[in-house]
Amino acid sequence: MSKTNSGEPVLKVRHLTTRFRTDRGVVTAVDDVSFDVYPGETVGIVGESGCGKTVTSKSIMRLLPEQVTIIDEKSEIMFEGENIARLSEKRMREVRGDRIAMIFQEPMTSLNPVFRIGWQLDEALRYHTKLGRKQRRERAIEMLKLVDIPNPEKRIDEYPHQLSGGMRQRVMIAMALCCEPDVLIADEPTTALDVTIQAQILSLMNSLKEKLQTAIMLITHDLGVVAQVCDRVVVMYAGRVIESGPVADIFRRPQHPYTQALLDSIPKQGNKERGLRLATIPGIVPSLWDLPHGCRFQDRCKFKEQRCVDGEPVLEDGPDGRPVRCHFPLDEARHPQHLAGRHAEGA
Amino acid sequence: MALLEVRDLHKRFPKHGGVLNRVVGNVHAVNGVSFDVNEGEVVGIVGESGCGKSTLGKTVIQLLGATEGSIKFDDQELTSLSHAEMMPFRRKMQMIFQDPYSSLNPRLTVRQLLREAIRFHKVVGADQVEAHIDSIIEKVGLRPDSKDKFPHEFSGGQRQRIGIARALCLKPKFLVADEPVSALDVSIQAAVLNLMMDLKDEFGLTMMFISHDLKVVEHFCDRVLVMYLGHVVEELTCDNLHADARHPYTTALLGANPIDDPTQRRSLTILKGDVPSPYNPPPGCPFTTRCPVVKDRCHQEMPPLEDKDATPGHRAACWEVEGAGVASSAAAGEG
Amino acid sequence: MMLKRFLRSRGMRKLRRNRMAMVASAVIGLYALVALFALFGGVSLDDTKRRVWRENTPGFLQPMSKEIADYTLDWHADKWLRPKMEAARRASDERSRQFSFDTAALGQRTLADLPGDELIALWDEAAGIYDEWRELQDTADEANEELEFFRIDLDAERAKDAPDQDMIEELEGEIEYYEGQLEQAARAPELAADLRAKLLELHPVPTGVPGMVYRAKLWFGTDSKGASIIIKGLYATKIAFQIGFVTAVGAVLIGTLLGAAAGFFGRFVDEAVMWIVSTLSSIPYLVLLAVLVVMFRGSIFDNEARPALALVPLYAAFGMTFWVGTCRVIRGEVMKIKELEYVQAATAIGFARPYIVLRHVVPNTVHLMFINFSLLFIAAIKGEVILSFLGLGVKGQPSWGIMIAHSKDQVSSGFFWEILTATALMFGLVLAFNILSDALQDAFDPKHVS
Repeated sequence: MSKTNSGEPVLKVRHLTTRFRTDRGVVTAVDDVSFDVYPGETVGIVGESGCGKTVTSKSIMRLLPEQVTIIDEKSEIMFEGENIARLSEKRMREVRGDRIAMIFQEPMTSLNPVFRIGWQLDEALRYHTKLGRKQRRERAIEMLKLVDIPNPEKRIDEYPHQLSGGMRQRVMIAMALCCEPDVLIADEPTTALDVTIQAQILSLMNSLKEKLQTAIMLITHDLGVVAQVCDRVVVMYAGRVIESGPVADIFRRPQHPYTQALLDSIPKQGNKERGLRLATIPGIVPSLWDLPHGCRFQDRCKFKEQRCVDGEPVLEDGPDGRPVRCHFPLDEARHPQHLAGRHAEGA
Repeated sequence: MALLEVRDLHKRFPKHGGVLNRVVGNVHAVNGVSFDVNEGEVVGIVGESGCGKSTLGKTVIQLLGATEGSIKFDDQELTSLSHAEMMPFRRKMQMIFQDPYSSLNPRLTVRQLLREAIRFHKVVGADQVEAHIDSIIEKVGLRPDSKDKFPHEFSGGQRQRIGIARALCLKPKFLVADEPVSALDVSIQAAVLNLMMDLKDEFGLTMMFISHDLKVVEHFCDRVLVMYLGHVVEELTCDNLHADARHPYTTALLGANPIDDPTQRRSLTILKGDVPSPYNPPPGCPFTTRCPVVKDRCHQEMPPLEDKDATPGHRAACWEVEGAGVASSAAAGEG
Repeated sequence: MMLKRFLRSRGMRKLRRNRMAMVASAVIGLYALVALFALFGGVSLDDTKRRVWRENTPGFLQPMSKEIADYTLDWHADKWLRPKMEAARRASDERSRQFSFDTAALGQRTLADLPGDELIALWDEAAGIYDEWRELQDTADEANEELEFFRIDLDAERAKDAPDQDMIEELEGEIEYYEGQLEQAARAPELAADLRAKLLELHPVPTGVPGMVYRAKLWFGTDSKGASIIIKGLYATKIAFQIGFVTAVGAVLIGTLLGAAAGFFGRFVDEAVMWIVSTLSSIPYLVLLAVLVVMFRGSIFDNEARPALALVPLYAAFGMTFWVGTCRVIRGEVMKIKELEYVQAATAIGFARPYIVLRHVVPNTVHLMFINFSLLFIAAIKGEVILSFLGLGVKGQPSWGIMIAHSKDQVSSGFFWEILTATALMFGLVLAFNILSDALQDAFDPKHVS
């Protein structure tokens, strides 16, 4: 299951810092975020709403409104040996959709309702490939087949409103994959879908990853989805990466108190804890305009000490050998009962 | 004695169309649903979007009129009551809504919001209104100084607490919670669920808990009704949900839910296709289009919701379950 | 309380940060002050009709050319003062003599505070200078004319093959004579200055506040009756605000109530309201307005002597048609709000439906009411101007529309002050309101405000 990260990362994000100009002043939505995406792996970017996960993905795709967005000078998004944070808009258009593709949360609004499915698929192919008209149509049908749409020859001439939500998300995936991108960014691709449809889409993404060796960057708030499909996880909080590592390690031995609290607060499947109180994280995510001095999680952390107020911890290897942003990262001694529970459940 | 008795409840929405805007068809949102809710019980209603679970909740507390069937609350038939006669029951039955943003009037402060409801129903004497507001606010875990704030000054979780306060300030007996935590972040979700659990005990509430999230329902409820396209397809207790589930849809729902443990990674149960359009449901059992064990009979007749094994309160609506169910109940009986 | 909360709301805060909107609000506030000033008697209807100077005096931008200055001086002495003073001289009794003196007043300029005889003596001196000045001017005119002819003749004579020496001498003599005459006439500007001084002595420009008022009244010149254009423009601001405010308030109220009822109760209420709405909106509104105004013709609402009543047809016409747009918008918003969960929660508590509409639904459309108010305000003002231009609108009072209509003939003769003032005032107000309603829309757009 855990993949050995051999070779060069296909996407290397370093010190990504995205700021927005707002009515209330400039706000840093993503602060010094670094991570790698290797070919053929799925990286999950996890966090609660407002943690900056979507802004991260949109910064990579350069899809943020230009007039209000400032991407800091030191930000590097290395893709195929180029820093795409500094690419011209024209060059970026060639990368976007062709080499890096994106699917969005809302399948109802991501497709243009006035064009046929086939036309919309064709559009991307026409722009990014030199295929002829007939070949493009064949390719489009092939792509629809790939994402398990029944009757692709018929479906290709239908309009988005004739398809269900799950079907539309499949079409979106087909559109994203039709140019065989190296990286697929999926921003909450199943959040708007029902569980049974979510299961379909997740298994589709898994099988496509195997088939096409596309690296997937999965943005989600759902830890269950992460556990099911991701190889590595980056946990974000208030614009910062607070912890990252292989999925099994993150779930088994979270080093950051936030990650642990997040895991504890989900109701467990099975009946061990039925009717009992759930573990909670007190307080709310701090406003980006009003971040506390020191660690950003301090107000909600049960291990808070003076040092957490004095200075913000840096992202460095914790006791588990994985990067964590905490002065007092958790180890076996700090949360024995949690680990015991987890081990028992896993057994 | 059941607090709430629902019998053969139907809710149809007329569909208008054509040049003259005539009624051209019906959406059968709730289709012959019967169940009881006992005093002090939490009954979960689970299903995918469009299965009629929200409509069921709103019909039960008479936010929507029933098309057919009976709803008895405290032994009183609700469907035939006038607006005035309904008033005492309005106070006893309250609802918590899904969206913490649209469920609060942005122009009323918390105090105004609660005061208007408390005064309307004369829950307490005029001189105790403020004290009652204070106690409710404290009980839902809001700071006393939140009273004079407007909804937009609160976060999603806090807003949901205000929604709960609004429902509870009338001291209701019965609460319909329509996806109360699905719009919230995980960490906030847990806090709101804990709060609801505490308040349930404190107020002696009976609840209908509507959700699409089986994990939450399993954690929170005593019993669960699984709905599919307006029908209840299975009714079972939560004590042993995974082992008890018989209906192929219920098992599929359980199997499709990703588990938050990467060591238990498994291939999720994949149901083929989508939920059929409620305008044009398939004949017979509504699940036939996706059912892995579908037989000819399923296309012809809707199976009744009936006891399938010895477990009390376990009912399923499936022709195929019978064998397995009877066999296991027989085995249980012998054992 | 409502207002305080509104001012504290997120939309208002956003609006306050919008600098353009704040400037626009300040401009509108300024206009409103002017309108209030006029409303409370700062500028009366009589003021707008009182002559302050000669007809079609240009305003501050146009430098007084010699011709215009001479013409103005001539008008002042001869056309304005002379008849009054002659009448005073001829007057048989003190009262009619005083009456003549009184009518000589011109705006803030009354005759000097001297005994009647001294006034007449002063006038005689002025009249003497005037007559001399006119004579000199006539002489100069004649001399110029003659010189031209003689010079042409002289040149023609010299150009001949055999010029007649006597003729040339005679012509040169004539030219010398008229040049002498011209030299004498060169004294005319001096005399003009003397005359101006005398007239100023006789008809002094007041000092202090009245003097400032007098000069201010002339900033934008005078109209074809010699009345101050700026005073008319300011008074017309009041009319515009009056019409804008009354119709916008009326239309927004009607539109909100009907729209809310239609949107919330649906069914036949909706059908009925929407039937009226679509019927009214299928008629071009200007036509409907014109028809309504014509219908009121000859009634008590069509009486120049009672200008306040003459506005009623306008109110009625605008009020009847303008609510339609507000009604549509509010209906749509109410249909949206009706489905929101807080309305369902109110229903679940058991509140009666009218209470829910008034307490939970309508207050949440306030932002639309504001936006519609500012749009309708402008629409009413523009409608008033158009109708008044067509002669169907305001009667017996100044209005920007009437001012524009008046300046039809003036503009062709190069006098642009009346149309400039009316359009500039209207432009400023309309622009400010448009900026404000855009900003309101931005600030209260539900996409930005949760």
